[in-house]
Order: sequence, then C-alpha cells, then structure tokens
Amino acid sequence: MMRPRWHKALADLWSNKMRSLLVIVSIAIGLFAVGLISTTHAWLGLAMRDGYAAQNPANIIITAAGFPADFVDRIRNLPDVQEAEGVALVSLRVQTGQDTSTPIDIQAFPEMDEKQINQLTLLEGKYPPADREIVLDINKLEDTAARLGDTITVQLPSGRLREMKVVGIVRDMTIGAGGMGGGYFIASPQGYITFETLAWLEQPELLNQLHATVRSGDADLEHIQSVAGTLMDEFERNSLITISRAAMTSTAHPNNPYLESMLGLLVMLGFLVVFLSAFIITNTLSALLNQQIQQVGVMKTIGASRFQIRSIYMVLILVYSLAALGLALAFSDRAAYALLTFLSTRINFNLPAVQPVPRSILLQALIALIVPQVAGSLPILQGTRITIQQALSGTGSGNADRPSVVYRWLAKIRGLSRPMLISLRNTFRRRLRLVLTLVTLILGGAIFIGVFNVRTTIDHYMDRLGKYFIADVNLTLSEPHSIREMTAILKQVPGVVSVEGWAGARAELVEPDGSVGEAVILQAVPTDSTLIEPILTAGRWILPGDENAIVLNEMFNESLPGIAIGDTVRLRVNGEETEWVVVGFFQFAGKSGGLLAYTGFDHLSRLTSMTGRSMFYRIVTAEGMHTLEQQEELGAVLEAHLKRQGIEVSEITAGLSLNETTARGLDTLTTFLLFMALLMAAVGSMGLMGTMSLNVMERTREIGVMRAIGATDRHITRLVLVEGMLIGLISWVLACLASFPIGKMLSDVVSIAIFSMPIDFVFTATGVFIWLGLVTILSILASVLPARSAARLTIREVLAYE
Amino acid sequence: MHLAIMNSRFPPEISNHQPLIRLRQVVKVYRTAAGDFPALKGLDLDVEAGEFLAITGKSGAGKTTLVNMITGTDALTSGVVEVGGVNIHQLDENRRALWRGRHLGVIYQSFHLLPNLTLLDNILLPMDFCGLYRRRASRERAMDLLRQMEMADHAHKLPSQISGGQQQRVAIARALANDPPLIVADEPTGRLDSVTAEVIFRIFQQLVAQGKTLVMVTHDRTIAGRVSRMLTIQDGEVLNQPAA
Ligand SMILES: Nc1ncnc2c1ncn2[C@@H]1O[C@H](COP(=O)(O)OP(=O)(O)OP(=O)(O)O)[C@@H](O)[C@H]1O
Ligand SMILES: [Mg+2]
Repeated sequence: MMRPRWHKALADLWSNKMRSLLVIVSIAIGLFAVGLISTTHAWLGLAMRDGYAAQNPANIIITAAGFPADFVDRIRNLPDVQEAEGVALVSLRVQTGQDTSTPIDIQAFPEMDEKQINQLTLLEGKYPPADREIVLDINKLEDTAARLGDTITVQLPSGRLREMKVVGIVRDMTIGAGGMGGGYFIASPQGYITFETLAWLEQPELLNQLHATVRSGDADLEHIQSVAGTLMDEFERNSLITISRAAMTSTAHPNNPYLESMLGLLVMLGFLVVFLSAFIITNTLSALLNQQIQQVGVMKTIGASRFQIRSIYMVLILVYSLAALGLALAFSDRAAYALLTFLSTRINFNLPAVQPVPRSILLQALIALIVPQVAGSLPILQGTRITIQQALSGTGSGNADRPSVVYRWLAKIRGLSRPMLISLRNTFRRRLRLVLTLVTLILGGAIFIGVFNVRTTIDHYMDRLGKYFIADVNLTLSEPHSIREMTAILKQVPGVVSVEGWAGARAELVEPDGSVGEAVILQAVPTDSTLIEPILTAGRWILPGDENAIVLNEMFNESLPGIAIGDTVRLRVNGEETEWVVVGFFQFAGKSGGLLAYTGFDHLSRLTSMTGRSMFYRIVTAEGMHTLEQQEELGAVLEAHLKRQGIEVSEITAGLSLNETTARGLDTLTTFLLFMALLMAAVGSMGLMGTMSLNVMERTREIGVMRAIGATDRHITRLVLVEGMLIGLISWVLACLASFPIGKMLSDVVSIAIFSMPIDFVFTATGVFIWLGLVTILSILASVLPARSAARLTIREVLAYE
Repeated sequence: MHLAIMNSRFPPEISNHQPLIRLRQVVKVYRTAAGDFPALKGLDLDVEAGEFLAITGKSGAGKTTLVNMITGTDALTSGVVEVGGVNIHQLDENRRALWRGRHLGVIYQSFHLLPNLTLLDNILLPMDFCGLYRRRASRERAMDLLRQMEMADHAHKLPSQISGGQQQRVAIARALANDPPLIVADEPTGRLDSVTAEVIFRIFQQLVAQGKTLVMVTHDRTIAGRVSRMLTIQDGEVLNQPAA
C-alpha cells in the first residue's frame, strides 16, 4: 500500500487532468525542441561527413585534355597515391520536350563495376548499366523529365539523336566536388555510362578527368595539395595538358558551407531553446505550485515538515518530468529524421542508418530531471516559508498587501469600468509571475521573429544577387559574331530593347611555382554595362580606360589569403599566362560559387583576339515582359529568328532562371529556417498557452465568486480576454525589440558560414505581424478556454475548487 | 534537548505543577501598509490540562490571532508561549511542524480537508507525516476514528462529496489522528447549523471527558455552563479572567 503522502502527489496529478496535461506538454515541447535540434545536429554531421567519406571521394581531381589508361596505372603506383581512376567526361544535351532540351554531364568509366573512388549509391533499378544504357543521378533528375525505365533522347554534336534507356537511379554525393562551374547547385543533370558507349554517342574514347585518393592523411589538405602537385608534375613529364585541378579532404562534402551554417544555426537555436524551455518549465510549475499553497498550509498544520512537503512536490514534479521526457523522446527522433530526410534531397546526402544519439537523450534527460526541480524549488520554498496563516488565507504569495503603483496608475484612467480595473489589477498583481510569463513569451516570440528575419535577410540577398543577372535573356552562340551586327539583328525582334555583348573565358589561377591552380570563371563586361550591379565590398568596379584591371569575388580571399587591392594575380586564360591588377572585391554566392572575376570587355576581347565580336549576349526586353515565362517565350522567338539568319545558337536561358539556380542553395537554407521558425512558434505558443491557461485556472475560484455576485459569462470572458491579450501584446512589443539582436546573431552565423562575412541584416514586418496574429489568437484561446470551463462548473464546485 | 521533550509526551509530573498552556506578555502586531496594528497587547493566559476553554469576543477582537499564537501557525511579535513546557516559538519551522503534528490537533472553521484525497487518506496523512504509528495500525486507527465520528461509510469519498457538518467531523477525526493531548478549534461550528453544531459540541465534550484539553473559539455564549471556563477577548486583551 502506498503511503498517503505519495497518494496525495498522485491524486493531485490525477484530479485536474487538463492542468496536468498542460504542464506535461509544456515541459515536453521544450525537451522536444532541444532533442530535435541536438539529434539533427548529430545526424547531419554523421550523414554529411562520415556518409560522404564512405563514398571514398576523390581527394584530387585533375581535368586534362586527355590521357591514356596506362597513365592512370602509373599514377596509381605513386607512393602517396592510394587509388587512381580515369573518367571520360562529356557534355551533351538531352531532349526534355518537343523543342526543349537541357545539358547533361555524362561520365564514362572504363571499369564500371570495379569503381572504387566517388562511389555511387544505387537507389533504384540496377548498376552498372549495360552498353547503350544510362544511369541517372537523382539530384537533377527532374530537369531531364525522365524516370526509371523511361527512354531519354540524347542530341549528338552531329545533330543525330540517340535513345538510351534509364536503367538505374543513383545518388552521387560528389557532385560539385571539383569546384568547377559553381558546384552542386548549378550542376547539370548527371548520367553514367560504360566506356564502350562513348563511340556510339560520337564521343572520343578518351579519359579526361583523373580521380585519385591519397594513401594517408586524407584529412590534411596541405598534404593532399602537395600530392596533387606531384600528380601535375607527372602530367607535365608525360606532356599531357591539364585544364584544372582540385584538392579536398575526404570529409569535405561539396555542400559543406550549408552544413556549417545549418549546424551553426542549430547550436545557436539549441542554446536559446534550452533557455526558453527552462522558462516555460519554471513558469508552468510556479503557476501549478501557487495553486497548492493553501494545501501546503494545511499539511504544515497537521505536522508535515518542510522536507516532507518538499519531497511530495519533488515527486510530483518528477512524475510530470518523466511523462514529458517520454513524450519528447518518442517524438524528437522522428521529427529529426523527417528533417534529415528533407535535407538529404536538398543538399545531397544519403540517409544514414541512424541510431538514437546518447548525447541528445542525456541532454533531454538532464533538462527534464534538473530544470523542473530547480524551477519548482523556488515556489515550493516560497510556499513552505510563509506562515501557515498566510498560506491558508491565500495571501502569502500575492504580495498584495497594498495596491500596486500600476493599479493606482490604472485607476486614474477614465472610462475603465470597475471589473476591467479588477482584471488589469490581476495582471499586475503577481509581479514575479508576470515577469516569468513575459520573459517566456518574449523569448519565444523574439526567436520566431528573429529566424523569420534571417530568412528575409537571405531572400533579400538572393534578390540582390539577381542584380548580377539583370538581363532578361542570355544568349550564347556557337561561334563569335560582330556585336554591331548582332545588335541590329536582335533588335528586329519586337520586345528587344537593348543588347550587350559580353565575353567569358575559363581561366585558372597560376600558382607561385608556375603550376596550374584552381579554375576561375572570368567574365568580361562592357565598362558602361547597365546589366550588372555588383555588391562591392572594397575598391571599385571596372572603369572605361582600364586595361588589365580585375574585380574578384569573396572566394579569392580563401584561395589567395591576404590578397589586396593593387596586387597582381596571374591567370592562365585560354592556355596563355596573363597578369591582372586587382582593383576591387565583390560579394557573390559564397563558398558554393567558386572563383569568379570580372574584367572589362575590351581588354579581354583584345587578349583573345575577338575585338568587336562576341559569343555571349545579354538582352533586355520591354517593360512588362519580365516574368520567367515571358523571358522563355522571347528566348524561343529569338532562337527561331537567328536560325532564319543562319546564326547557330548554342544556348538560350531566361535571366530569371540563372538567378534561380544561384538561389537554389540559399533557398534550402531559407526553407530550413522557416521550419525552425515554425518550431519556435510551436514552442513559444505552447509556452503561452500553458502559462495563460494556468493563470486563468488559478483564478477559477475568483471567477466563481464573481459569478456568485452577478457577473455573467460575458463579463467574465471579457475580463480574462482583456488580461490575456494585454499580456500577449506587451510580450509582442518587447519580442519585436528583442528579435533585433537575436536575428542579427543568427544572420551572422549563417552568412559567415556561407559568405565568410556578415551580410546586411534586413528587418521585415512579416514575422512581426505573424507573431502578433499568433499571440493574439493564442492569448484568446489560452484565456477563454479555461474561463469557459470554469464557467461550466457550478458555483458550488468552483468555490470548493482549490 | 528539544528532541527529548518532543519524544516524551507531556510527563504528568510537569502538567501537575504547571499549566499545559502558558502565555506571558504575548504581543502580536500586524504590519500593514496603513501602519502597525497591535492585535494582541501583552496578553497573559494559563490553561490547565483537562480544561475545556471557550474563547469569545467581538469580531476583530483578536481571537483567531490568539489561537494562532497557541498553535504556532503564525509568528509571534514578542512574549512567551509555552505548551507542555515547550517554548514553541523558539522551535525551528520543521521541529514546530513535527511537534504540532504529535501534540496538537487543529480544527478550522472552513475544515481545510485536502480536496484530492479521500476522507480516509486525509486522516492517514498526519500519521504518515509524524510516524507515530505503523502502517497497518494507522489504517485501523483511521477507520476507528471515522467510526467514532460516524463517517466510516464515507471513508472513500472525496471531501467535496459530503456535507459541511460531515466535513467538520472528518476534520476532527484528522485532528485526533496522532492522539494529541491538546485540541485547538477556531469557530469549528461557525459554518454549521445549530443541530449539527450541537453534535460537534457533544463530540468535544466527550473528548474532554477522555482527558483531552480543548481550546475553542466560539460566538455561541449559550454554552457557557457546559465548558470549564469562558474567556472574553476585547481589543487584544483578556476582558475578565475569573479564578479557575
Ligand atoms: N493578516 C492581517 N493583517 C493585518 N491585520 C490583521 C490581519 N489579521 C487580522 N488582523 C486584524 O487583527 C485584529 C484581530 O483579528 P482576528 O482575526 O484575530 O479577529 P477575530 O477575533 O478572530 O475576529 P472574527 O470573530 O471575525 O474571526 C482585527 O482587527 C484584524 O483586522
Ligand atoms: Mg476569527
């Protein structure tokens, strides 16, 4: 048989199920958020680092004009090289509709089934494919409009079409690893075929990319760099032309910047959530224990010592905590897995076989066992410290022996009815409780608004990035044409307002020792261009009269640490070594963007002997033709028009679509942030609901008395409503203020991870108003629902209510 | 020293020579925003073991305040309160609670039963806190007490399911749980009708007959002839104290 005192603890739990549920859920939601965040943190790191390393990714990728198979054997036999493989990399186009097509990068492997490096994960169908079959990567599968079992039509350089059956779908986690062309997000769809299929596709059976892993030190980038240097020497010794090289560690997933920013966010949010949940728990328990003060008095009268009373409530709290912990553990892993699943499709990793994270469970358990006990000890201490007389008369905790300043101040406001005054006084009577409630709400609201603002900040930055792609249509020709002639031809098409001829070249950094380094995309723009508005972070833009002036993006700071304005950089452009003077720095899409540089059109075209001619055109359309569909439509019209003039088009893209691909990576982040904002809203809302409901429940007796002296349900509803909304509004105003530092902090974490520098923090009203709406609705629900149920009790029941 | 006193229950040789309750120069001042209010102004009082003392006086006279000083449920401003030779206001909070549980039964006007516990559990609770009885024995004792109060049939009901008079009888049973020698009741019949009040009063008379000491605040002056002494409080002072 249980001792009566434990009986009492259980009876308290059981007697007010609604209240117990509120307390348990309030604690659980805080634990849940902590669990979700810490578990996601652990799993994400596991999936992106260990999961990536498990694919045995290449540490060194060298792109060359071509090399024979026995050269790969020679590389493999070098002492520092663990494994080396040659790949034939070809770019073709695949038809996606009647007149539409999209580029596709196809890799052909000589020994497909014995592939060691950059292993693919088979998701569906079979691997390896037979000759004349193809396996596609899942990431950009949608762009090809193909599914497993479909036949895709590949356009060959000769204009002939080849049909290939899609026999497998794989995940290639190494997409973007070479750093060429801006990485994962702007990569084309990827296909994998046998070496023997190349000839059928009118491609030379020539290896042009070398993948190698190092024997040891695959986490030591410097070592890998030096091995890469040895390999480059080997190419040179065999008179093989190299185009670019890249070196990376075995855990450096190409999308690591996003991982880093998300992990950073998770740590920050986790920290804030621990605080938030501590406040929710403290608040909920102090509300709960306040209702018990009278009973504490009675128990002391009949001989209970302080220790005995405290142990009763500690057990009570323990039961609540354990129930909440159970709930939180049951759901946090599931939610974390769902989040991981979403992210796996966005930043390209395999879902790992996950296991519960001991650290996360421990953290939740510690918070569940410690915070509520600490939080509860304060009101218990208060409750056991006051004299029995105070406890029994229920005045002990009220610090209400004189009307507060606020009350006296309120009383001076004209037009406030007496009941309204009572209600407002109630709000301010329990100052400590009010402060606790407000802090909880403010923290929850501020995090929500802050996260929302980070999202807007990134959205805003993405719009800003669009200023690098102001043109409505981008046109690439198969060969250069006179800019003056092209402008005239293009302007014949209605809707075309202006045309600029740009130039672009693939370049490579030249290392101090004269070897070829990382790839650089070199863009040349007319000095009077109106189609680009760069975000300059230092120095200036290209000016008329500039010769070999160059403006670099933020990534050069990583490749050439310490580079400054006035320095000279050496680039290999079209195989020739050239020197450039740095005049400015601009900010672009961060670490996923690779090296990007701008120079003046005239200088580059002179260098490449193409003065007055260009392959690349930027076209501006008339007002009211700036949607993606309209841009695409005009693109099709232009292509037909040029065809009639006998000018061959290599590629036409709508301006907005370019922006879209650049934005895709950041978009993943903003979706992730939105999810976090919703989580914060859920946590904050639960805190709000719990606290306010308990506040009203606590006043059940008071409500009974008011009804007994003639207050109608409408009176009472109005009273609690005013109180609830007042608290909600006060917290909202303060949350708006608090969201500034929190939002700025989160924004910096994200932008430093991606851009290596803080981006301008943008404040948006959206989050502020969504939170206002949420707070209002929740305040109403949280105060009216318990008031309603209090009104449903008979007055006798209410007055008997403790 | 205190422990020794608590563990021996009022040795007869002490109560023979000394009053059970001894108040000397008891002052209680309530501190309020409006200023200090002296509710008891240097009050002296002796109550012998076995007495049935009734305290009366106008509303606001200080009766409840006096009772609180005897039970130690409120803090004393100055003076001495000894019960069974123990200066109760010098005990620390925990010892006082334990002392109260073992030596004193308190009965309130508004019953103050714990709402979530059955009547039986309400009576078991003080025994649980003070640990004077073994578990099996305490259960039997609780049922005995309920039977004495004619409430045995309701043992498993909640307080809200019985009438006020019945609740007060359970509260008396709870006050008797640890078999304390002294019972203090503040207007125990104040909320009850006259018939029920009479029933409760008879129970008190029986308890005195069994050797308990009873201190009871009441507004009912008609019981004057049926108690051993009537004490009137006025403005925080004893109005008349005829020789016992
Ligand atoms: N907590 C308190 N704070 C301030 N003054 C108090 C407090 N409690 C009682 N008083 C004052 O002390 C005086 C005595 O109060 P007490 O409760 O002892 O009266 P009482 O004789 O029990 O009256 P009643 O018959 O109405 O119960 C009263 O004037 C009362 O206003
Ligand atoms: Mg009184």
